[in-house]
Amino acid sequence: MKLTIERGMLLKMLTHIQSVVERRNTIPILSNVKFDAPDENLSLNATDMDLDIVETVPADVEVHGTTTAPAHTLFDIVRRLPEGSQVKLESTGDSGSLVLTSGRSRFTLTCLPTEDFPILSSGELPYNFNISAGNLRDVIDCTRFAISTEETRYYLNGIYLHEAVKVKEPVLRAVATDGHRLASVEVPRPEGAEGMPGIIIPRKTVTELRKLIEETSEDIAIAMSDTKIRFSFEGTVLTSKLIDGTFPDYDRVIPTANDKVLEVDTKSFADAIGRVSAISTEKSRTVKLALANDNLTLSASSSENDLAVEELSVNYKAEEMEIGFNSRYLQDITQQISGPSARLTLADAASPTLVQEVGDESVLYVLMPMRV
Amino acid sequence: MKIRLLPPNMVNQIAAGEVVERPASAVKELVENSIDAGAGKIDIVLRNGGQTYLSVTDDGHGMTKEELSFSMERHATSKLPDDNLENIVTLGFRGEALPSIGSVSRVVLTSRAFGSQEGWQLRVDGGKKFESKPAAHPQGTSVEVRDLFYATPARLKFLKTERTEMNHTTDAVKRLAMAHPNIAFTLFNGERHILKVSCSQGDFISTRLDRVDAIMGNEFGLNALTIDAEREGLRLTGHAGLPTLNRGNASLQYLFVNDRSVRDKSFFGAVRGAYRDFLAHDRYPLLALFLEVPPDALDVNVHPAKTEVRFRDPGLVRGLIVSALKYALAGAGHRASTTVSQAALGAFQSPINKQLFVQSAQRANVTNGFPEASGYSPPGSATSALANLDHSPSAKAEIEIDGNRGTNENFGDYPLGAARGQLHETYIVSQTTDSIVIVDQHAAHERLVYEEMKATMNSEGVRRQGLLIPEIVELDEVAAEKIVEKSGELEEMGLVLETFGPGTVVVREVPALLGEINIQGLIKDLADEIVELDDTLSLKSRLADVCSTMACHGSVRAGRRLNGGEMNALLRQMEATPHSGQCNHGRPTYVELKLTDIEKLFGRR
Repeated sequence: MKLTIERGMLLKMLTHIQSVVERRNTIPILSNVKFDAPDENLSLNATDMDLDIVETVPADVEVHGTTTAPAHTLFDIVRRLPEGSQVKLESTGDSGSLVLTSGRSRFTLTCLPTEDFPILSSGELPYNFNISAGNLRDVIDCTRFAISTEETRYYLNGIYLHEAVKVKEPVLRAVATDGHRLASVEVPRPEGAEGMPGIIIPRKTVTELRKLIEETSEDIAIAMSDTKIRFSFEGTVLTSKLIDGTFPDYDRVIPTANDKVLEVDTKSFADAIGRVSAISTEKSRTVKLALANDNLTLSASSSENDLAVEELSVNYKAEEMEIGFNSRYLQDITQQISGPSARLTLADAASPTLVQEVGDESVLYVLMPMRV
Repeated sequence: MKIRLLPPNMVNQIAAGEVVERPASAVKELVENSIDAGAGKIDIVLRNGGQTYLSVTDDGHGMTKEELSFSMERHATSKLPDDNLENIVTLGFRGEALPSIGSVSRVVLTSRAFGSQEGWQLRVDGGKKFESKPAAHPQGTSVEVRDLFYATPARLKFLKTERTEMNHTTDAVKRLAMAHPNIAFTLFNGERHILKVSCSQGDFISTRLDRVDAIMGNEFGLNALTIDAEREGLRLTGHAGLPTLNRGNASLQYLFVNDRSVRDKSFFGAVRGAYRDFLAHDRYPLLALFLEVPPDALDVNVHPAKTEVRFRDPGLVRGLIVSALKYALAGAGHRASTTVSQAALGAFQSPINKQLFVQSAQRANVTNGFPEASGYSPPGSATSALANLDHSPSAKAEIEIDGNRGTNENFGDYPLGAARGQLHETYIVSQTTDSIVIVDQHAAHERLVYEEMKATMNSEGVRRQGLLIPEIVELDEVAAEKIVEKSGELEEMGLVLETFGPGTVVVREVPALLGEINIQGLIKDLADEIVELDDTLSLKSRLADVCSTMACHGSVRAGRRLNGGEMNALLRQMEATPHSGQCNHGRPTYVELKLTDIEKLFGRR
């Protein structure tokens, strides 16, 4: 294989690729990135056996061929090359090394045989649909903070994506929960998604996908079966295994009978929480909400009896009540609400509270209070 | 085959299977008889670890000729005077030991009763009794057992090496000796003298401490706290070691119930619970506790060898042990064990025999002398300090607080003295009226922060995070029932659960401090502990873990320069805070070197 490529283009690819590659591997080939130059394009491929990424860009290919080389090392090299320089990659089939030359720098990297590189077989992917990059970004942003990190409940370690019906409108709904809070977001069901199985997309896949689609404005093509999912756009193909588990019946925990409605200005509410919680030194920064007629008093205290109180004028007509929350959980939610005002629907100090943006029914958050 | 009654000898051999497990159990039974006979001195001699020969000689009240003959019959005993199993005041009562031993070995019993002029001897071979004949013997009884288990070859094959059997015997005798400080004991294996304790006069508690010292080692005596607590007719006395004196296993934890050595799981659990805050989970304190229980509140007729007992109210016993230990440990405040300073002293080496000028070799030598394992890195040695005269202390306390020198002088009267300086930006050196104290600033401050957090947690309660999706945990029915019984206690620690059908509990709220946790794992650990030890250790220790990690991050690190005011403030806080003598893992936070010890170092004493 022999080819020349612009440094910036290679770096962008390697940036995406290397974040899929785990830092420490028991199987050496998994540390490597596979180079494939079958025609006028160069494609790079990396995998951790659960997640597989392929990126293809045009390159100036002189000799076709394939090889594999250490991903993190390559990334570190290319990152340090001067901007705008041309990178020449050359590998000779028999010597088993990849030579990278750029300007007066020359690196020789040991390669591993391409045949050993694992291929994540995708199998049949019967469900195909497109979703706009913007919609997908929203879906991920609104839910991923609630993904559980507790390994024993592996079925919560991802976003649950499934088909649902809301007021006769078919929708695609994404849900994530860690047992303390829940986030749910809906987008109109894209064509081709009807009958799709409910799937759980693993946290790592979500993180990588979010990075990849940061800048794109194209539609993302999604293909899936009940064990795999594939996202393709702009020469990038991300294929991932899905979490094999049953997502809990989350519908039951979304409160429907909460009758106390509190409407707040999102920004001042978020800011007040941030200020008040600054005082608590403990790990679970508790913030207390005292509700009275059109008035909300936020308070927090520390173990040294320091006290913070802030009052907000809000829209609240129901009877007086007090409720405590983990301030970090509240902030996670308020950060995702882009609209000017948010609505909290409460029942009592021990029951789940529903949080929504006023005027946007498609996203909802459920939060369990904290008991003091 | 027809059902028939077994011959008496067979019955005795079967009983021997339970009662006489190994030479150690034979010795234990015989020594208990001697103790019950009111002996003042008991001599035990073994050969080959007791396999070929063992004898127990006492100066108790002895037996008459008739009693001698009866003693080898099954269920014949001089104990249980009023035929009442509810009120057992003697060590033995089953009347099984002698005939059992007699059925599996060759026994010679020689005894002269109190006030009698003649002694008698009885021989029994594998359960076969010979005529008793007159014999010379001082007042008391001696029992000689030869060829133990010759009549039961199967059991003989299961005996371990002489050394192992001897260790078991030594342990059994030690336990008996600890419980009976007013009796003198000697133990020989062949010609080798294993144990010798004389009976001492004086107050019972102090004689017992002497006895416990003699057996558990002098180190224990120096670092033991005295326990004396009473609750609802139960009295707990004895001695508990300071947390800084610890071992890798629980073999030096003794519990005596009414002077009977008992191995009780819930006792070990209670000890772990009481020491939980001071020791790493794999370190064990040393203790010898004596529990006095009214005989009717106790069932000793549980196990033929009587190593287990049952209490009428196990919760009360447990509560008493835990609270008594905690109380004593709290009283110990910042005391660290003297072994620590002994170890530190041992690490100092006199430079006399060394070539001061050969610096590199010299240093290697000295460093090797320090005990790495103790986790205490000494602040430079005498010689390296000499070699580098330009090394000045990190901070000098006196210079910093020159303005109020008067107060500084007074600090010398405090237990931890007045800070004189900081070395290597890690160790505070202070001077008291009669010693030098070296404080590990990080360990000490970490403990202070931790204690403060715990106090807050106790006063404000643990905050609980509700679960959106309650976690359902399946356990076996007994465990589920037990854990639900404890739900009140668990709720105080932030865990709310309730029963959810047989064998299942549902968890509704968890301690907010723990964040996202493996609830299934926690509940299962807890259930096991509650069933086994009747304690909720795993939840407590998880909360403590979080606190201690936070304490570690929130405390003064090694390498931070402190000024005199800060150093003295730290010392004063340590004095005021309970348990500040050790860090969360049982390592000491300071070492005290007495002036006398230092004088010894310089050969002045």
